[in-house]
Amino acid sequence: MTSREDILARLRARLNRSEANAAAARAALEATLAAKAIGPRPAIDTQKSALAGRLIEKSLAQSSTVDCVASLAEAPAAVARYLATNGLPAQAVVWPALAALDWAGVGLAIQARGAVDADRVGITGCFCAIAETGTLMLCSGPATPATVSLLPETHIALVPASRIVPAMEEAFALARAELGALPRAVNFVSGPSRTGDIEQTIVLGAHGPSRVHLLLIEGA
Amino acid sequence: MKSRAHRFKENAAASLANPVLQANLRTAKGKFVDKRAIAIKELDDFEATREAAKDIRNRVLEHLDLWLEKFEEVACARGAKVLWAKDGEEVCRLVVEIGKQHGVKKAVKSKSMLSEEAGLNQALEAAGIRPVETDLGEYILQINDNEPPSHIIAPVVHKSLDEVADLFAKTHKTPRKTDIPALTREAREVLREHFLSAEMGISGGNFLIAETGSVALVTNEGNGRMVTTLPRVHVVITGIEKVIPTLEDLATLMRLLPRSATGQSISNYVSLLTGVKAAGESDGPEHLYFILVDSGRAGLVGSEFQDMLRCIRCGACMNHCPVYQTIGGQAYGWGYPGPMGSVLTPLYTGLENALDLPHAATLCNQCGVVCPVKIPLPDLLRRLREKQLENHLRPWFERMALKAWAWVAERPSLYALATRFGVRYLAWLAGGQKSIPLLGIAPGWTQGRDFPAPEGKTFRELYRARSR
Repeated sequence: MTSREDILARLRARLNRSEANAAAARAALEATLAAKAIGPRPAIDTQKSALAGRLIEKSLAQSSTVDCVASLAEAPAAVARYLATNGLPAQAVVWPALAALDWAGVGLAIQARGAVDADRVGITGCFCAIAETGTLMLCSGPATPATVSLLPETHIALVPASRIVPAMEEAFALARAELGALPRAVNFVSGPSRTGDIEQTIVLGAHGPSRVHLLLIEGA
Repeated sequence: MKSRAHRFKENAAASLANPVLQANLRTAKGKFVDKRAIAIKELDDFEATREAAKDIRNRVLEHLDLWLEKFEEVACARGAKVLWAKDGEEVCRLVVEIGKQHGVKKAVKSKSMLSEEAGLNQALEAAGIRPVETDLGEYILQINDNEPPSHIIAPVVHKSLDEVADLFAKTHKTPRKTDIPALTREAREVLREHFLSAEMGISGGNFLIAETGSVALVTNEGNGRMVTTLPRVHVVITGIEKVIPTLEDLATLMRLLPRSATGQSISNYVSLLTGVKAAGESDGPEHLYFILVDSGRAGLVGSEFQDMLRCIRCGACMNHCPVYQTIGGQAYGWGYPGPMGSVLTPLYTGLENALDLPHAATLCNQCGVVCPVKIPLPDLLRRLREKQLENHLRPWFERMALKAWAWVAERPSLYALATRFGVRYLAWLAGGQKSIPLLGIAPGWTQGRDFPAPEGKTFRELYRARSR
């Protein structure tokens, strides 16, 4: 008997599984999957400005920084300002999905690809952002590689205000509606990477970025 | 890993006598407890959320066979391979086979308690595959000659900055650094090289989601993301009890897990990993394996200990346990310390191998109150004590004493007489003092504390006098 059969056989014996009760149990299982029941959750003001306000507040609480611009076209200039202010080079790796923005126009040397170890700045968009906890939802794909938000020390994320949802539940509903199945990697990112392992003292930049900067795009 | 739980009393005595450990435990205690207390207030209805989480976990356990089959079906449809392991030995064999098949020389690991259970690192080393722990705490333990962890989410909570500084200077051959950011930076640089060069990533799994065939990984450092993004092979090792039905259920559980564990509203990274690298993708593993491990879990399904399988490994029970706070985690002798460990260690390694653990509790129920999935830990500890007695695992004098006590207690007039004699004897022994420093018939009791002296009358005598 394979280990699979052995483990399942023992579970079935312990659960008194029979042909007769298996059918009903399978129906209950499928019903649970179909129902997608939502549990108790904190009340959140779902007005557009309130969602943005909460996202900003929670992101700041997680040691992220936040800037706002009116339109997507203004994003490259805001990124350039941020890099200059923080003494970072005017070059970055960017999601291929954002390659079409006018980066060169503001003097940024941009490469649209997945990130490598040497990249110091990574620019991404996001699938959506979650107001409840100040969280970015990033979905992997050929145009949205996961490494860009992971390997560089600095992660800049463009967040369209229209893509702010109240909670994880709405984010999942959006993913089902727009993507069908989940992509290979869904990464929920809430602030810079950190560790508290040595004497419970929080240090930013453990393995991932030590800076996360949200650029909120109000008109997108 | 080999259990040292049978030596609990010696281990605990050593912990109590270790001043560095005692100081570190005092610092850690406040941080975990206070931060959690603040974080749970963010939920409008914490109690209802706990109840919902309990229901989610129970729903799966009631039909665990079918949920596992469902998870397997969906995960395989997305290109993952699902393997099953009866015990730790089989986990090691499977991971080594996968490593050999893909020509792996180095494996980077994100925290997996099951790999600790299985002793996977030793097996990999024996097979010529170098395992590198990448969680900062686990890395510190690994370079300190594979020291065992002392906490399930803060494995080096017992170590001081000085100890880590010495260890890094020795291992990395760098000048000794004494500030925590610099040490963290050094570990980042050392481990980054390993992330980039390893052919295989090994992770645990916080949850398996049946709806999507995904594993959910919760980390703060980002090492979980590295391990599952950069190497071309990813192996997930999890217990069979980790399945949850839907993404909505994950949302509910994620409101509780980080808050209960570290007092965070959410951990920095929550990753849902499904299937392998798609066409055109520049990153992600080409091969994804799930190893679903039994190692004693199936035996708890449908038993009086089934509630324990709801555990989501947050560590709140140990953070709030007066015994854990006093002796730290290593004294418990296996990978799982505190109340959850005192239940799991005897159940997974044999009752007879961890006789003291179910007794290493005051049954104050702090653990039960803070458990996010409402596991009645004191009840389970009490049941384990009963099992020890039923299986004749207690010393003969303890069994005789209990029998004698039961015989007397069943006879009210004899019981009254015995207690009247008892309190008067103890009052005489105290000689007018409020406590007895040495109890002749039970010297162990007064070894570390005084025995409070009775006033001279039993409760029943006082009660009768009062009602007259």
